[in-house]
Amino acid sequence: MSQLQVRDLQVTFGGLRAVDGMDFDVAQGEILCLLGPNGAGKSTTLDLICGKTQPTGGSIRFQDTEISRMLEFQRARLGIGRKFQVPSVYKELTVAENLSVARSMKPGIWHALTHPAIRRSSKMQDILDLVGLQDKMGEPAGNLSHGETQWLEIAMLIAQDSRLILMDEPTAGMTIQETERTARIFRSLSANHTLIVVEHDMSFVRTVADRIIVMNQGSKLAEGTIQEIEANEAVKTAYLGH
Amino acid sequence: MNTRLSYDIIGLTLFAGVILFGVPALFSYDGFELNTFSRYLSLAIVSMALALSWGTAGLLNLGQAATFGMGSYAMAMHLKLKASGDGLPDFMGWNNVETLPLIWGPFQSLTFTLLAGLLIPAAVGGLIAIFMFRARIAGVFVAIITLAFLVAFQLLVIEQQGLTGGQNGLTGLAQLVLFGWKIDIYSVSFYYMVGGCLVAALIFGLYLTHSKFGLVLRAIREDAERTRYFGYNVANYQTVIFCISAGLAGWAGMLYALVLEFASPTYMSVSFSLAIVIWCAVGGRESVLAAAVGAILVNLAEGRLSDVFVEGWHMILGVMFLVVVMFMPRGIYGLLVDAGRVLRRKPASTKEALPFDTPLNPKQES
Repeated sequence: MSQLQVRDLQVTFGGLRAVDGMDFDVAQGEILCLLGPNGAGKSTTLDLICGKTQPTGGSIRFQDTEISRMLEFQRARLGIGRKFQVPSVYKELTVAENLSVARSMKPGIWHALTHPAIRRSSKMQDILDLVGLQDKMGEPAGNLSHGETQWLEIAMLIAQDSRLILMDEPTAGMTIQETERTARIFRSLSANHTLIVVEHDMSFVRTVADRIIVMNQGSKLAEGTIQEIEANEAVKTAYLGH
Repeated sequence: MNTRLSYDIIGLTLFAGVILFGVPALFSYDGFELNTFSRYLSLAIVSMALALSWGTAGLLNLGQAATFGMGSYAMAMHLKLKASGDGLPDFMGWNNVETLPLIWGPFQSLTFTLLAGLLIPAAVGGLIAIFMFRARIAGVFVAIITLAFLVAFQLLVIEQQGLTGGQNGLTGLAQLVLFGWKIDIYSVSFYYMVGGCLVAALIFGLYLTHSKFGLVLRAIREDAERTRYFGYNVANYQTVIFCISAGLAGWAGMLYALVLEFASPTYMSVSFSLAIVIWCAVGGRESVLAAAVGAILVNLAEGRLSDVFVEGWHMILGVMFLVVVMFMPRGIYGLLVDAGRVLRRKPASTKEALPFDTPLNPKQES
């Protein structure tokens, strides 16, 4: 049984069909990569799943619940997490506070009113150890280096513990070593999490992807494993233009 | 316990000590001098209420004076009825009102009045908040809408002369009788009551800012969009803090009407509402304690200087605001925090943070 089912998904921006009739399924624990030239609708597809954009047609079912009309926070509560293209940590909050915001299993107001801002827990300590920020707990996130900021964002994704994580170009601006490191974290995450990743870096896609969907002009052009995609004639035409 | 919480507790203890022991001793327990100071203390409550919505959640409410005014009118209506005995309040006769208007009736009851002064402002604030925040209105538009509401509400109060006393407001009030205690506003015990209300409001405010609720609000202030993707219902969080802030402003308004012995539409004027913003900014909007201190300091200065510069006081206030905005945007609180950071600065740590490509803990990675 697939965790996410997308059927005939459509969105129109002022006459432009940004996503046009997308159909795909994602199984529990799978890493799906979305590829395609600029403007193919990859990021828009992620926006539609997490609720940033409302679809004009079609359906999105997550764990047998229709979510395409829900608000962002309702989808997040069901277990859909999102990592944006630009690192988005709260710069004015400390590392520990960032993690506390990300730990949102109980996002209700009453729970928030009756609990302290930061609770030391072994899970939080484990996450901080994992990313090596245990000495920086009280530091405002704005003081972190670029690399540390990325570690913090990954820590926040782990703390949020979403079942489905949507990532938009997670390796943009990373060195080769950092990309490899990130790839390894993704593989370890996929034991408990499903991932949909938009990525341009082919070596990264080769390392992590279980399955690839190539998009072009808002619809699905090809789908399959990395070998199948690389052998696909239609994909070559779309990318190379002949 | 984290350090910021312990600093806040120390700060609050010092503040409460000065307010409850230092100030009365300074004025040698003189009721008339303390009455002026209890006016500042009730204004400190509005200022700290604004710090909750503006400083913590980033919602600049320029209509704070409207909810403050509602509280003051609630209290004044009760006291006016008490002063009128069995008859109608005098101003109603002048306006040809024959019978007591329906909304005045329940204000005979003190319990109703106290609840109304707290809950009506909270409900009105909540209603505006629901419309604004469901529609994801943010930033400067919140300020514009609340300002427009303030102006409209003040006009309404002035226009409804038969109900509100119009431009004159409600004057000639009775003394409040609280649980058989007839409150003399020139007594030391009245000062302690207002001081006690302020300290209680500050404890409540500090509790909120140190709870997860306060943390989520600060996260919303920085990036509301991102916070939604963690599953927080941002509009609800914003609405609740707006309600709480409006309720506290109403409470302060009730105390203010007691101190000045009248309620007037000038409490809901734009200039008064902007003055609250200035007190809050001078003290430091990030801390409820600093905002309260800011209100007391600016009003103290006004009390001393407006005798000397009768016409020029508003100029001085304006210059003060400009200086704060340009040179110390985080107010006195920000200066203290920066000074503390310089004093505590340790020699640079030799231990560098892990670079991004350091191997992970192998146990976690397998």
